[in-house]
Amino acid sequence: MALALVITYKTTEVPNFAQGDMAMVSAFIAYMFLTDFETGFIFAFGAALVFAFLLGVGFEGLLLRRMRKPTHLNLIIMTLGFTLAIFGFAGWKWGADQRQFPFPVSANEVIRFGSVSISTLSVATILIAGILMLLVFAFFRFTKLGVAMQATQQDPIAARINGVPARAIVGLTFGISSVIGTVAALLTAPLITLDPTLMWDALLKGFAAAVLGGLNTPVGAVLGGYLLGVIENLFGAYVSVEFKSVVAFLLIVIVLWFRPSGLFGHHHERKV
Amino acid sequence: MLVSLPLLLPGYRVFTLNYMAVFVIVGLGMNVLVGATGQVSLGHAGFLAIGAYTMVILMARLAVPFPFALVMAGFVSALFGFLLGLPALRLAGPYLAIATLGFGLAVTQIIAHSALFGGHMGLVVPDATVGPFPLSGDVSKYYVIVGITFVLALGVRNLSVTRVGRAFRAIRDSEIAAATMGVDVAYYKTLSFAVSAALTGVAGGLLALMIGFISPGVFTFTLSLMFLAMVVLGGLGSIPGAVLGSIVMGYLNLEMDAFQELPVLGPALEGFSERFMSTVGLPNFGWVVTGMLIVFTILIEPRGLYGLWIRALDTTKRSKSADAELSRSGSGAD
Amino acid sequence: MSFFAVDGLTMRFGGLTALDDVSFEVDRGMIFSIIGPNGSGKSTAFNCISGIYQPTAGEVYFEGEAISGLAPHHIARLGIARTFQNIELFSTETTIDNLMLGRHQHMRSGIWSGVWMLGRATSAAREEAENRERVQWIIELLDLVQVRDRPVGELPYGTQKRVELARALAMEPKLLLVDEPSAGMNADERAEVAVRIGELRAELDVTILLIEHHVQLAIGLADRVLALNFGKPIAQGAPDEIRQHPEVIKAYLGDG
Repeated sequence: MALALVITYKTTEVPNFAQGDMAMVSAFIAYMFLTDFETGFIFAFGAALVFAFLLGVGFEGLLLRRMRKPTHLNLIIMTLGFTLAIFGFAGWKWGADQRQFPFPVSANEVIRFGSVSISTLSVATILIAGILMLLVFAFFRFTKLGVAMQATQQDPIAARINGVPARAIVGLTFGISSVIGTVAALLTAPLITLDPTLMWDALLKGFAAAVLGGLNTPVGAVLGGYLLGVIENLFGAYVSVEFKSVVAFLLIVIVLWFRPSGLFGHHHERKV
Repeated sequence: MLVSLPLLLPGYRVFTLNYMAVFVIVGLGMNVLVGATGQVSLGHAGFLAIGAYTMVILMARLAVPFPFALVMAGFVSALFGFLLGLPALRLAGPYLAIATLGFGLAVTQIIAHSALFGGHMGLVVPDATVGPFPLSGDVSKYYVIVGITFVLALGVRNLSVTRVGRAFRAIRDSEIAAATMGVDVAYYKTLSFAVSAALTGVAGGLLALMIGFISPGVFTFTLSLMFLAMVVLGGLGSIPGAVLGSIVMGYLNLEMDAFQELPVLGPALEGFSERFMSTVGLPNFGWVVTGMLIVFTILIEPRGLYGLWIRALDTTKRSKSADAELSRSGSGAD
Repeated sequence: MSFFAVDGLTMRFGGLTALDDVSFEVDRGMIFSIIGPNGSGKSTAFNCISGIYQPTAGEVYFEGEAISGLAPHHIARLGIARTFQNIELFSTETTIDNLMLGRHQHMRSGIWSGVWMLGRATSAAREEAENRERVQWIIELLDLVQVRDRPVGELPYGTQKRVELARALAMEPKLLLVDEPSAGMNADERAEVAVRIGELRAELDVTILLIEHHVQLAIGLADRVLALNFGKPIAQGAPDEIRQHPEVIKAYLGDG
């Protein structure tokens, strides 16, 4: 989740608060394919990812691009409005009932590593997250497209002059991060039941992790995610289970106090 | 007119008015923070909760009389606002939004998990009296609630045309320039948080008074989003806008469960729901509407309803002066 | 002890040295001009003086006190005002409200008095009225009467620059920093600006520090000139000397 958010922010300086619910809707689409249409997993997940991509591009192209006064504040509010609308839409279409989400890898079977047992789902999640992180890192560093995306964020006008199709890239960015967010949703759904509030917790934690690691580094985001998870659970195990989420909040505040750009991020000053 | 209103309307309508008034107070608070100084908050439901719970606990456990408890609700809330404002100084834009988001959630989590605050079950609000008058029934509460709303609105308006309000807006438009003009930016930013929280806290107390029962489930993230929506819709930075936006949103929030009952739209929505969506999910339509309102407001008229009002005024002004021109040139040409 | 002095001011941003050991002194009532091609560090110097940046080394003295490192609002209260090259007006506010912001440090109403402003008798109301009167003469001086109640965001560029100047003057400063007042203007407008600044010095008791990219304008107006290039001072002295100084000519022409 953090990864998805960082990709968007890094390239466009837009923190996409709608990311959570966009992913949630895509997960529902997958569910629809799985249950109503009874297709196989691969097809359903593939459909969900395609949908996510289109949703991301659509959101950017239809709404964000048309904004008259794209100040930071307005952009944030826009994504918030969008998320509210999608949330409502999901609730409307599918109702608030919780459903079981079928998944090829079970959350209940475990693999043992010595004295530690981890569910197969968790293993899959960790692996996928790690792979995605490496992929994204390589993408930004080594591919033309990745470099172009970075250029767009740092100076859109210069980028355009150099032949970078800035607008297409921005749309692409949203599409890609939407897909990644959906992967997160698909991995989360089997753990807890599928309903419109599926991604709320994940969104907050995703932002927390992204902020922790630095909102403009993908690597930071994923590391932040791992770090956050570890700290939260340690806290839960040794201090108190109930206040686990409060930790997320306090952690962000503390880190930002000392390092306003996150642990690994960097800041640019405005010239006066 | 407002004074006679509750006597003319049926009971539940008065409740609606009270509800809207409470929203208006929050709207004023949000306006001070987001509209005036430009700092985003996604956690104002937290302040609402702090205010409500403070008042109720003071009244229920310590037998503090209502007026005093309400004032304390505002103060305690302001304190938390100030505390939140301090780290907020270091945070900008999205980081601030996330931090406030976390704050709102943290507040509800803490309340829900601690027996001191009644946990998930919530607390019952004791009966309130103002001096010798018992406040029972929506009508008597109306006078108190709306009265307070008026006083607060007046106060906020006064503030905005004097030094402090100007300093707030200056910070929003250009922090650097404000600082070089002698504005202590840090002080004013935390001040705005405190004021905003105080207003919302009082609203929380009044909400508790109105509903008679509070529980953590009331103060959700979506509520905070709604608060943000109100000031965006009405027009960030304008007081009449905030009031208008709050009234609209308050009404919407309350009537969300009753969409089927709308005259023409209702059955249409129901039919549509049956065919493509789920009928049980219809109340969520309210969120869709709210979300779309925000989206379209930003897209089309970033100054919200207030902006539309200004535009309307401008066009009438222009057509009036155009008429004047025409008539003048008409008579001159003779 | 001079009115205003800068001693060994140095400002480094990471690997970039924006200002390198700059020193100069300004006497009361003087117009002192800093010139140099783009990127020579002029605005950086202003930012250091007004407290937006903390200099890497060196010191700024105002009326004998060291002020570098103080917060911008402190420096403002000591009596230093400035304008910005790229215009930092409060764009949604009207002209008069922008000027009233300039009065901020001279006014006192806070939260409590602000809230209780009812009718004309209250202290906040009186304060508002008083200060509105005080800025009236600035509005007239700078020819802003027509646009007094219009949001400054709508005003044409030249007018906005006047509002910036007016706002700084509303602070009743002892030292006024003017940052490229003629940026983006044609020859006629520049001449106006020159006249206006001269008038200001004559009518008010204010010392002016002027950044100007346009050499002619600066030299015509100033009592003393400092020329910078790539953050280093290359010449300092009377305007005529500077105009003919070989280094200065090279810096401007050589840079193309």
